[in-house]
Amino acid sequence: MKQIDLSHLKDLALGSVFLATGGGGDPHVPLLITQQAIKTYGPVSLIAPRDLKDDAFVVPIGNVGAPTVSLELLPSVDEAARTIDAFEAHVGRKVDAVASFEIGGGNSLIPIVAAAGKGIPVVDGDGMGRALPEAQMMSYAIAGVRPTPALAMDYAGNIATFETDTTEVYERHIRSFAMAAGGMITTAEHAMTGAELKRSVIPETLSFSIQLGRTLRENRGQAEELIGPLQDVFAPSIYGQCRLVFQGKVIDKATRIVGGYDVGEATIERFDGASTPLKISIKNEYLLAVLGERVIASVPDLIVIVDYETGTPINAERLRYGHRVAVFAIGCPDFYRTPEALKVVAPRCFGFDLDYVPLEDL
Amino acid sequence: MRIGIDVGGTHTDAVILNGDKVIAATKALTSADVISGVTAALDEILKQSAVSQSAIKTVMIGTTQFTNAIIERRELSRAAIIRIGLPSGRGMPPMVDWPQDMIEAVDAEIYMLHGGYLYNGWPIAEIREDEVNKTVADIAAKGIKNIAIASAFSPMNSAPETLLAEKILTAIPDAKITLSHNFGRLGLMERENAAIMNTTLLPFADKVVSSFLGALEKRGLNCPAFISQNDGTLMSADFVRAYPALTFASGPTNSLRGAYKLTGLEDAIVVDIGGTTSDIGVIQNGFPRESNVVVNIGGIRTNFRMPDILAIGLGGGSLVSEDGKTIGPKSVGHKLVTQGLVFGGKTLTTTDILVAGGHAEIGSKESVAHLDPNAVAQAKATMHKMLNDNIEMMKPGGKDMPVILVGGGAVLVTDGLKAASKLHRPENADVANAIGAAIAQVGGETERMLSYREIPRGEAIASVTKAATQRAIKAGADPETIRAVDIEETAVPYMDEGATRVRVKVIGDLAQ
Repeated sequence: MKQIDLSHLKDLALGSVFLATGGGGDPHVPLLITQQAIKTYGPVSLIAPRDLKDDAFVVPIGNVGAPTVSLELLPSVDEAARTIDAFEAHVGRKVDAVASFEIGGGNSLIPIVAAAGKGIPVVDGDGMGRALPEAQMMSYAIAGVRPTPALAMDYAGNIATFETDTTEVYERHIRSFAMAAGGMITTAEHAMTGAELKRSVIPETLSFSIQLGRTLRENRGQAEELIGPLQDVFAPSIYGQCRLVFQGKVIDKATRIVGGYDVGEATIERFDGASTPLKISIKNEYLLAVLGERVIASVPDLIVIVDYETGTPINAERLRYGHRVAVFAIGCPDFYRTPEALKVVAPRCFGFDLDYVPLEDL
Repeated sequence: MRIGIDVGGTHTDAVILNGDKVIAATKALTSADVISGVTAALDEILKQSAVSQSAIKTVMIGTTQFTNAIIERRELSRAAIIRIGLPSGRGMPPMVDWPQDMIEAVDAEIYMLHGGYLYNGWPIAEIREDEVNKTVADIAAKGIKNIAIASAFSPMNSAPETLLAEKILTAIPDAKITLSHNFGRLGLMERENAAIMNTTLLPFADKVVSSFLGALEKRGLNCPAFISQNDGTLMSADFVRAYPALTFASGPTNSLRGAYKLTGLEDAIVVDIGGTTSDIGVIQNGFPRESNVVVNIGGIRTNFRMPDILAIGLGGGSLVSEDGKTIGPKSVGHKLVTQGLVFGGKTLTTTDILVAGGHAEIGSKESVAHLDPNAVAQAKATMHKMLNDNIEMMKPGGKDMPVILVGGGAVLVTDGLKAASKLHRPENADVANAIGAAIAQVGGETERMLSYREIPRGEAIASVTKAATQRAIKAGADPETIRAVDIEETAVPYMDEGATRVRVKVIGDLAQ
């Protein structure tokens, strides 16, 4: 079993920003609270899904709410562990390991805070392999894991428990509670056995994100020099293909808030101004890349925009006119290419009038 | 007539403006004690212009002294920090992400108390009187006089901060207190950081202001003195004794405002090329475009409103690779005069390229005669490309815009810039900062919580604007020139319907 200590956290945060494909928000506060947790409680064991016993009891944990609220309503170092304590009392069973909702963004880190406080392992894997905007897009939900019994805790230790049939209804209820509790809560949900986890988790994404972050840090520099090392880490992983699909300058970017999502488009022109510009469609995340009529990559495959000079991933909110960027397309884990997964994450689920074609076939 | 002085880390600039006209200007090295450099610059411009002291109506000073004190970790006083926000943020104390040397320099006592508010106005927790009393007693016992107080969501409800301040002043009448809500915006840790930096600078601020005022008095300048803030407006020198942190980044602001004054261009890109970096900023309607990202000062995150500056590693002392393809970010800085090739040194710098290309006569031309002409041409191309690419990045929405070149390194631009619709090299560009300080205006800001249901929106905004205007007049603004530059309305949820927080900022010229 591997360990996660202080030295891994910055790489994990950087890797998870890359895998957030433009979404996920600023990981600064989640990174700080995770550093505090490991300083307080010590390093955390990382357990591979295959090493879990089939009858082990695993619960995913993370934050739900408005990230901007935690700029004032700061998280607490013991909040995640106390959420697990309360969850155990609620269901009458000890939790053997915690898991992550999504590797893209700050929720890649919160299970580590819980694991540190509880002294239990964190599962090397997550429920998305990237960032996606809705809970029913989580692999756990797609694989049929029930969202409840679930428990949410606020900053003061107040608790709400949930019993719902579907993840959609659960998501609605948990969001109302988050608002009522000051805008940010910690939730334990989609609890499952080791056997269920093995068929629903996107495996090895935590250790992969650390490796990815390290690669980005050690190979900081222009995209052409970065692509080799990136392919070296992606090729043997659950993602596979990693392509450098475009380099150029952002010549237009327009987004607006629609139904709580940041929706819009960015246009990137080649540095020499030649040929057709690349268009990227945005809904919190980068979802679709099109060159003229030709689709270059689409959700659920990953589209990542980085600063051309340094390889630092650029968040969709921060992307702006004049940015010199490189665009990478990365194959998604096989789980998201199954018919069950495509029912909720295919391009049409985001309002694009096209069928999903895997990156390798484009 | 007025005097503008800019005290930078390396140079002290001073100008006398008669209306819009620069009638005297000087650029001198900043002295170790700062004040003798200021006095020397004053003597020089008074001599140049032969103006009598009594003709000078105001003196405006821009200074990086407080920024530099933070960056260099000096002149910082011991502080007590009170955070009001428990039970949120347990195990996330103030200064948790500060660099170790800065934590040691401030040597703070930290207190975390229950209280504060949520985004919707509900209390996080009730204030606990026993906690408050214990904290105040402990600070008094330890003899700490400089205190910072930060409470969760204090920009929306500052009552907990004010309450604590009152209690402290009762027990410690000579305490100097900084309240975080005076530093605006949301982001508890960033606002708290600003308050801590401010509080730890208070004794130094007292010293600096007194010595500035002393220098002016010694030279017979008995007119009012002002110091410029990061938003380009002025504070009375005495106000700085309580808010030194408000001077952070006034340097870039003054440079941008000075470039605007020198050209009269209300919308333009300003490129300030120094020895180590080129700082690219944007002026919109005559004022700096503000950054919307977190600003780092001395390794500490803050939420100050700062001009949006893109600094790239290209200046007169930047190192050039042998093939001319790589320039900077390393620079010999002020050691250019000993380390550059044309000065007999061993380091190839951009200044050497300039001389080798025949664009300038600095030092000895022979010492660069051996350079490969192709590499020289390549280096020039690299410099221009760096500037063009980065200017493009700063252009708002890709609009065609003129570029104003200021700073000592502006000579590096030999071939024009294709990113510029027009290139301006104004006279006196080397003292743009001092000119920016001299033309700084007076601001006034008022914030009120109002109900649009009780008062119609138009009337409500007008009443807040009127209050802000009165503040600006009181601070010395000419009523004829006052205009609103920023109106911010924030709906307050879960309160009386229509409840809105209205903040208005006005500015005007200093009354003559």
